[in-house]
Amino acid sequence: MTFEQFLQYIFSGVTSGSVYALTAMGFTLVFNATQIINFSQGQLVMLGGMIAVGLYGAGAPLWGAFLGSVAIVVLVAVGFERIAIRPLLRKGILAQVIATVGASFVFETAAMLIWGRDAVTLPAFSGEEPLSVGGATVVPQTLWVVGLTIVIVVALQLFYRKSLFGKAVRACAVDATSARLQGISYSRVVIFSFALTGAISAAAGVMITPISFMGFHSGSLLGMKGFAAAMLGGLGNPVGAVLGGFILGIVEALGVGVVSAGYKDAIAFVILLLVLFVRPVGLLGAKMGNRG
Amino acid sequence: MLELRGVRAGYGRIEVLHGIDLTVGEGEILTIVGANGAGKSTLLKAVSGVVRISGGSITYDGERIDPLGVENIVSRRLIQIPEGRRLFGPMSVEENLQLGGYSRRGSGSPVAERLERVFALFPRLKERLSQQAGTLSGGEQQMLAVGRALMAEPRLLLLDEPSMGLAPIVVQDIFTGLRRLNQEGLTMVLVEQDARIALSLAHRGLVMERGRIVLEDSAQALLDNPEVRAIYFGRRNAGYRRGMEKT
Repeated sequence: MTFEQFLQYIFSGVTSGSVYALTAMGFTLVFNATQIINFSQGQLVMLGGMIAVGLYGAGAPLWGAFLGSVAIVVLVAVGFERIAIRPLLRKGILAQVIATVGASFVFETAAMLIWGRDAVTLPAFSGEEPLSVGGATVVPQTLWVVGLTIVIVVALQLFYRKSLFGKAVRACAVDATSARLQGISYSRVVIFSFALTGAISAAAGVMITPISFMGFHSGSLLGMKGFAAAMLGGLGNPVGAVLGGFILGIVEALGVGVVSAGYKDAIAFVILLLVLFVRPVGLLGAKMGNRG
Repeated sequence: MLELRGVRAGYGRIEVLHGIDLTVGEGEILTIVGANGAGKSTLLKAVSGVVRISGGSITYDGERIDPLGVENIVSRRLIQIPEGRRLFGPMSVEENLQLGGYSRRGSGSPVAERLERVFALFPRLKERLSQQAGTLSGGEQQMLAVGRALMAEPRLLLLDEPSMGLAPIVVQDIFTGLRRLNQEGLTMVLVEQDARIALSLAHRGLVMERGRIVLEDSAQALLDNPEVRAIYFGRRNAGYRRGMEKT
C-alpha cells in the first residue's frame, strides 16, 4: 500500500468513523440516562437521512432539510420515549430494551412505506469537486462530516462540563435517586436525553447521506456499528464513544485496503466480539455497576 | 413543622411502616433510634417522597406533601441526606455542591455566598474543591454530603445514619457542625444506630421497633433509660462500628 492509498483509507475511515461516533454517542446518551440500550438508535440515523431527502425533494433548501430533519427526529425520539419507554419504567430495563427493538421495526417499516425500497441520496452540502490532500483526494462532504462531528462533540462536552443542567444529567447517570434528592427532575433528564439523541442521530444521518446513500434498511447496520463503537470506547463514556467510532471507522477502512472490501462489515462485529471477550468495559472502561 | 399521621409504607406488598405518628417542631432536633430493619430509613424516605406511602398523611408547613414527587418536596426546602451519602463519586467536590443547590437555582442567596457558608462549617472541603468526590476520605465525604444538602438552604434536614462507617473522632466533627447548624435555626430529623451520640445531640427521641414507634421522650430521658441503654448502647453495636471504621 502506498502512502497515498493509506491516506485515502484514513480519510474514508475518519468519515465513516464520524458517523459511528455520533451513533455511538446516541447509545451513550440514552444509556447514561436510563441504562437502556436503544436498539432503534440506527433507525433514528436512517430517519434523519430519509426525512432530509424527503424535505429536499419537497423543495426545501439543503440547510432547511437538515434543520427540518433534526427537528422531526427530535419529535420522533421524544414521542418514542413517551409512548414506548415511560409506560414501561416500572417493568424494568429488559422490557424497555425490547420496546426499542420493536421501535426499530416500526421506524424501518414506516420508512419503507413512506419512501419506498430504493436507496436515496442528497446533494453534497458544498459541491462535489474533490480536493487533493497529500496525494489523496477528499470530497468536500468529508470535511463537512468531520467538521460538524467535532463541533457537536465539543459542544456536548461543554454542555456536560459547564452548564448546571449538563451536570444534572451526569449526576442522574451516576445515581438517579440521589439526583432526585437534589431536586433534579429525572423524567426531564430522560426526555432531554432522548431529544438530544434524536438531534445527533438526525445530524449524522443527513451528513452521511450524500456520501453513502440511505435506504429504509440502512439503520440496522449503522446501529450495530455504532453499538460496536460504543462498546469499544466503553459504554456510558461519551469520550469513549467518539474514540471508539473513529477507531472503528479507520480499522474498517484499512481492513478494506489490506484484506478485502467484502469483509468491511464483518470487521465491526469482530471488534465487538473481541471487546466482549477481552475487555467488556471497553477502552475507557466506564463503570458498569448497578444503580440503586 | 412536620406532622405524620398514621403513615403506612413499604416496598411492594411488604409493609414496613405500620402507622407512624410523629411531629417535629420548628428548630428542633428529633432523633429516631432503632435496630437494623426497624423502618427508620423507610420513614425518612417516606417523608422525602422516595417511598410512596400507602396510608396516612404527611404534612409539612401546613401542606400535605405525601402526594408530591421528590423534586417538589425538595423545592420546599425539605432536604434528605441519604444513607451511605450517595455522592456523585466521579464528579468533583465543587460539582457536587453546585448540584446540591439545583433546587434553588435562580432563587435564594447567591451560590458563592452559600458556598462560603459551607466552607465556614467544613473548611476542608474548600481545599478539595476540584477533587473527585469518590476519592475523599469517609469523613470528608460525609462533610460533603452535609455541605451538598446545605446548598439547597434547607429548612428541614433529614439525616440517615450520618455516623455510619466513620471513626468516632470524625463523627464528633460532623456532629459539632450539625449542632452549629441547629443553633442557627435548622430543624433536623436524625436517624441513627449509634443511639448515644445521636441522642446527645437531639432534643427529643423516638425508639422504633418493627415499623412502630415504641417509645417517645426527651433525649435526656432516653439517654437515662436503662432499657434503651441496654439495647441500643450495647457492645454489639460498638463492635460492628469498629469493623466499619475508616477515616
